[in-house]
Amino acid sequence: MKNIFIKIIAGVFVMGGLASCEANLDQIPYDALAIDNAYTSPQDFENAMRGAYEGLISATGNITTGMYGYIGSGSMLSAPDVLTDNVTLCQNGRFTAKDLHDWDYNGNSTLSTVYSNAYTVIYRTNLILENSVNLEGDTKANIVAEAKALRAMAHLNLVGYFGKIPTQSADANGSLGVAYVTITDQFQLPARNTVGEDYDMIVKDLTEAAADINTSNGVGRMGKNAVNLLLSRVYLYMGQWQNAIDAANEVTTPIAPRAKFVGIWDDTSTDGLVFSIPNTADLNNSIGVTWTQGTKTAIINEYVASYELTNLYAADDIRKEAYIFTGKSQGLEYNSIGKLLGKKGTSSQLTNGIVDYKIFRASEAALNRAEALYNLGSEGPARTALDEVRTKRYTSPPSGETGTALRDAIRLERRLEFAFEYQRFFDLKRWGLPIIRENFGDLKDGTGTPSVDLLLPVGSNLFQLPFSQSTIDQNPNIVQNPGY
Amino acid sequence: MRTKFSGILTLILALVVQLTFAQQKTITGTVTDDTGLPLPGANVLIKGTSSGTQSDFDGNFSISANVGQTLTFSYVGFSAKEVKVGAQNKINISLLPDAAALEEVVITGYSTRNQTVQTSAVVSISASEISELAPTTSIDNLLQGKAAGVQVTAANGKPGQGAFVRIRGTGSLSAGASSPLYIVDGATIREQELGQIANEDIENITILKDAATTARYGSRGANGVVVITTKNGNRNKEATVRFSSRYGVSSLIKPNFNVMNVEQKLQYEAELFALGLGSAAAPGVSTNPGSPERLKLIDESPDWQKLGYKEGVISSNTASISGGAEKIDYFFSVGNDKNTGIINNLNGFERTNSRLNINFDAKKWLSVGVNVGYSHATSDEPRDRNNSQNLFRFLYDVNPYERYYVYDADGNQVFNEYGNPLYNNTNTGFAGVGSILTEPATDSWNTFLASGDAQVKFTKNFSYSLRYSLNSVNRRRDSYSLPGGVLINLIGNPDFPGNKLDFESFRTDITISNNLNYTLSLNDHHLNVLGLYEYNINSYRDILARKIGFPTPILTTQVNAAQLNDANTSANKLALLSYGLFADYDYKEKYLASASARYDASSNFGKDNQYGLFYSFSAGWNIAKESFFNADFVDDLKIRGSYGTVGNRSGIDNYASQGTVSFSNPYPGGSSSTPDNIANPDLKWETTKTTDIGLEFNLFNNRVKGVADYFIRKTEDLLFPIPRADESGISTVAGNLGEIENKGLEISLQADVFRTADFTWTLGGNIIFLDTKILKLPEGKDVSPSDNTFNILYREGAKINEHYLVRYAGVDPANGRPQYYKADGTIVYADGINQDTDRVLQGKSTIANKEGGFFTNIRYKGFGLRTDFVFKAGNWINNFVESNLNSDGASVTDNQAVSAFNYWQQPGDTGVLPDPRTTLNNENNINSDRFLEKGDYIRMRNVTLSYTLPRQYMDKLPFTSFRIYVQGQNLLTFTDFYGDPEVGLSSAESISFAQTVAPGEATLYSYPNTKSIQLGLDVSF
Repeated sequence: MKNIFIKIIAGVFVMGGLASCEANLDQIPYDALAIDNAYTSPQDFENAMRGAYEGLISATGNITTGMYGYIGSGSMLSAPDVLTDNVTLCQNGRFTAKDLHDWDYNGNSTLSTVYSNAYTVIYRTNLILENSVNLEGDTKANIVAEAKALRAMAHLNLVGYFGKIPTQSADANGSLGVAYVTITDQFQLPARNTVGEDYDMIVKDLTEAAADINTSNGVGRMGKNAVNLLLSRVYLYMGQWQNAIDAANEVTTPIAPRAKFVGIWDDTSTDGLVFSIPNTADLNNSIGVTWTQGTKTAIINEYVASYELTNLYAADDIRKEAYIFTGKSQGLEYNSIGKLLGKKGTSSQLTNGIVDYKIFRASEAALNRAEALYNLGSEGPARTALDEVRTKRYTSPPSGETGTALRDAIRLERRLEFAFEYQRFFDLKRWGLPIIRENFGDLKDGTGTPSVDLLLPVGSNLFQLPFSQSTIDQNPNIVQNPGY
Repeated sequence: MRTKFSGILTLILALVVQLTFAQQKTITGTVTDDTGLPLPGANVLIKGTSSGTQSDFDGNFSISANVGQTLTFSYVGFSAKEVKVGAQNKINISLLPDAAALEEVVITGYSTRNQTVQTSAVVSISASEISELAPTTSIDNLLQGKAAGVQVTAANGKPGQGAFVRIRGTGSLSAGASSPLYIVDGATIREQELGQIANEDIENITILKDAATTARYGSRGANGVVVITTKNGNRNKEATVRFSSRYGVSSLIKPNFNVMNVEQKLQYEAELFALGLGSAAAPGVSTNPGSPERLKLIDESPDWQKLGYKEGVISSNTASISGGAEKIDYFFSVGNDKNTGIINNLNGFERTNSRLNINFDAKKWLSVGVNVGYSHATSDEPRDRNNSQNLFRFLYDVNPYERYYVYDADGNQVFNEYGNPLYNNTNTGFAGVGSILTEPATDSWNTFLASGDAQVKFTKNFSYSLRYSLNSVNRRRDSYSLPGGVLINLIGNPDFPGNKLDFESFRTDITISNNLNYTLSLNDHHLNVLGLYEYNINSYRDILARKIGFPTPILTTQVNAAQLNDANTSANKLALLSYGLFADYDYKEKYLASASARYDASSNFGKDNQYGLFYSFSAGWNIAKESFFNADFVDDLKIRGSYGTVGNRSGIDNYASQGTVSFSNPYPGGSSSTPDNIANPDLKWETTKTTDIGLEFNLFNNRVKGVADYFIRKTEDLLFPIPRADESGISTVAGNLGEIENKGLEISLQADVFRTADFTWTLGGNIIFLDTKILKLPEGKDVSPSDNTFNILYREGAKINEHYLVRYAGVDPANGRPQYYKADGTIVYADGINQDTDRVLQGKSTIANKEGGFFTNIRYKGFGLRTDFVFKAGNWINNFVESNLNSDGASVTDNQAVSAFNYWQQPGDTGVLPDPRTTLNNENNINSDRFLEKGDYIRMRNVTLSYTLPRQYMDKLPFTSFRIYVQGQNLLTFTDFYGDPEVGLSSAESISFAQTVAPGEATLYSYPNTKSIQLGLDVSF
């Protein structure tokens, strides 16, 4: 009797346990949301849109790995200058991205992080676009436009590195660019499109975006001005001069005045910014480690402004003060790059490298126009466009050039205005110019150790970066660039 | 009150009187063992009462008892005997060894089985062995060399740090998935948390190696199971109080190479500058030998080693009380362990623990037990980065002429605004030694291990038990960058000085186990069947806060800080539900068979794939027990075999099968959702099929013992982050693909070479010969686990964890240029090398193919000398430290090894490093096998000289045992490796313990191993 009683108790206990435990096999994550619930309401799409932008700056700890990430992996923030004559490798740094600077890259060391991060952004925009069929109401058109704009921007950066630029050479449009991806299939193995196809699709996405996007989408997001600015750059790269001018004319943001210019770089001014990403407290991304670590008097420079570039800035050019400072370390002085040094603190500028991302600025629209007008033979309007920028940078701006002197002045101004701002490599490349580094060292007075390699001749295959071997291993449809 | 007291007194008196009225007499006698030797300390009890006595040193006893009462004689390891008191006044009794008790008892998953009838490859390590080895702080390190087939790689030398344990090779290619399952009194514990268990509390560690027993752990046993049981008291035995105490010192194991001193470094700078390397400002260039400036440099240079290192102090003190009565046994302990480690100004590791284990017979049919252990540990956590924030890297890199503090132009020391010294950042850019004081980081752990069980006997054959086991680990991390400190001065925000992180995690693992047990002993047939229903849930939560803006370095709590920088919580859960049926059978201990089936369901797999069935069969034959077998010197000769399937579910995220978006990646303007995990509803178990054939023998009255096992482990459906095309925007999706194989031979032998009453000499050892092979990979393609390794490549047909590097072909004697092999074997200079396609696999894996240990133990009277060696061979280590110290001028700004002087200088030079000028052309930065070295070593892990006070003195002393010893650890190492060959973690902040898939791949300045000398004392009474 007693035994039966015990058995019943035990049996009940076991059976009861069984039922409740079985249910616990259905565990739902605490720190993430089931994807089926993530793209339904308009707010979901706003969240997803910010998530897509996040791919530009995504961070692990304080080291950013996104497209505009930390230099270690080579990124939009650094590579377009590291590859060129704007910087010199500094001997007191850590030789970060030296392979890029020395044009010593191969399938094992290339811009693989930029590559995969760009496609991460693209994947996120495509998820929005695919799911937007569920979205109704008046926010839809803007979300679709914005996603397309971001998708185009990511592809443009990719094809700039890994493919030719249409105006670079006659064969450019027919040569291989990058895969233009518009679907989210995890098993896809897309082949490379031609450069011409890539640019056509970029233009298509951007023109559709320009038509529907809001004037402003708030902080950290692109609005109409940003899309038009990007579109004018794309047309410039394509050599479609009139389209470039038309798109640039749509940009309404005024160019930052000289007085406000230095403040742009310590985040006390937002003048002239068309698209920027605030480096808020919850981000705290130390993007400044791209160029320097430490304080101005105990500095570690990865790269310094090249002696040649430093001397190109006229004494009354406000940009020299904004971009370059004298960094000291162990009794040596350097032309340190100050563009990402830090925000303004209570007393002085901080040096923790936490500063807003400036992606597009209004002066580019003017310089795009100047270049396109010059190429159409309209020297007068071209000079006027150029002076729109120069009058806001110098106290006594140069002016009055004609012919190739005007062309060179436009190019020089573009270099000075966008030094360390993700343009130089693409500009030299599309102009069909070699990269020539002068034989100056890394110290402030031009002495010290110069960069190892000083010339990348026109036509070198090294202008098109190699695809990572792991990229090709995963997707055999990706054909490696010639010469690697 | 007084009345009450006298009442009780009267009652007691009455009882005593009543006793004397009975027919009482005094019985004397001797208790001996089967060979006639006296058994001191044997229990003599009057059955049914609590009165009794113990035999003295000569086995003599004397007890008063009534005629008709029964005396029970018992002694640990012997069968108890009962004698009824009759006419006799003298009882001489000889106890027979209890076969079952003397046999090694093996805890084989939910049940225990005697070694004799065991059909599985298992190794058991007893409490006495553990205490003889007096391990440092963590028990996993102790396992090295103790059990054949168990490969142990110390993660590093940090006090309290554990080891990578691999049983029979590497069973998975995923991070963290190749560790065995650890079970402490029924609860699972993670490998990282083993350091929280006090060694002195451990009764037994049993390592289950083949499927016959691991399959009983179903989905978690594929990489072997380590079953740890804690101590219990002995029934019917008066309390034994035991004190165990150790004290000793530890120090850095001096590297087998030298780095440059001040003069050498200055000379090196000058030499290299003449070749065009380095800076004109370098002191070796800007000062001349013999000049006052140089003499000043030499004069002012500190002893950096002395600033960074100290002699560590190790101490361990435990006390335990154990014993039992007829219906209860208990074990209670408290302990404290300290190991300061060798970093100056740090306290290292300290653990305080306590445990109470009680078993109690509540009713005839019901017994209950409870084991509760608690420990609190604190551990200093210096940076383990691959830069000079890591003290060990800093001490290699710092130029010996650098000064420790900052001085102004007048030579006065400079202090920060809080009055603390400013430390010189030196050539390394970061004041590594000073930062030990200004960047304190400490972990503290509270670990609670508890299990309670109730056993119900239904009938003679049927019983049921319920066991509830809980393991709760709370970890707290305090990491502070002091305002005005080294890091803050470099990257801090001057408006908000200081930066403090508080992080706490709470991990709870609960197992509820229901067992229904059936045993049958019929004639010579023995059968045991166990039905299991078990539920396990693991919950994790964490919380963190980071603030900046501390008013003073004295205050460390967040409430004092001005600005919140980061705050977070997260959580996850993992559930497992299991059904099992296990059966063991033997006939006359001669024919043996076992079988098991376990059906597991885990919450981290795809909806339709949560359940998996794992089973095993095994059989054995003890030939020595056959009547036809008449070789008398053979005590046991057993052949056994097993086959089974075992699962693995670790190495993937708890929600890996579900498609999710995450909100954890912030973006300005509002919430941001990013695709997080890509769903794979087909995700299922990783399955290992193990075949094992074993031979066990005991010869010459157990003087010679041996075990040999041959095994084949095949793992399929590997849990793998399967890479997707970069263009898809998806990096990896958790899936099942691929197949690997580990096979090998394990041998372990032990013999008493001499065995007399006064002198015994025991020799023993074990070894595994291991082969690993990758059989199948996703679509046959190579896989590079690049997130968790440096240069490892997985390729079909290759070994697991092979280095994938360009081959170095030495220096061209004609011109000093480094040469390399192209993939096809032709020798070229660096410019002819394609760093992708010229890499090759050479069969050089990070996994040792021979590993084990051996020992000698000499006992003469009370003296003992035990020496344990561990060895490892056949593994290859990429020696980044050597590479950095011989950088061919690339790191001329940092200190170098003296051997860096030995560079090519003129045509014909051989046996030299490349001409430093080749560095200017990037000829030396090819990622090659130039510094890939054999990791072979033999290390004297332990040597102990001990003296145990002989029994004859015990009578005069208040002790029952007394042992003193002096012990040395890691005093001798034999290796050709450059540096310390025991390499586990390279740098924990490059690849963490949990992420590591190839322990010992490379050296990178992790906490070095230490040697120690300790003096110890064990007493009980």
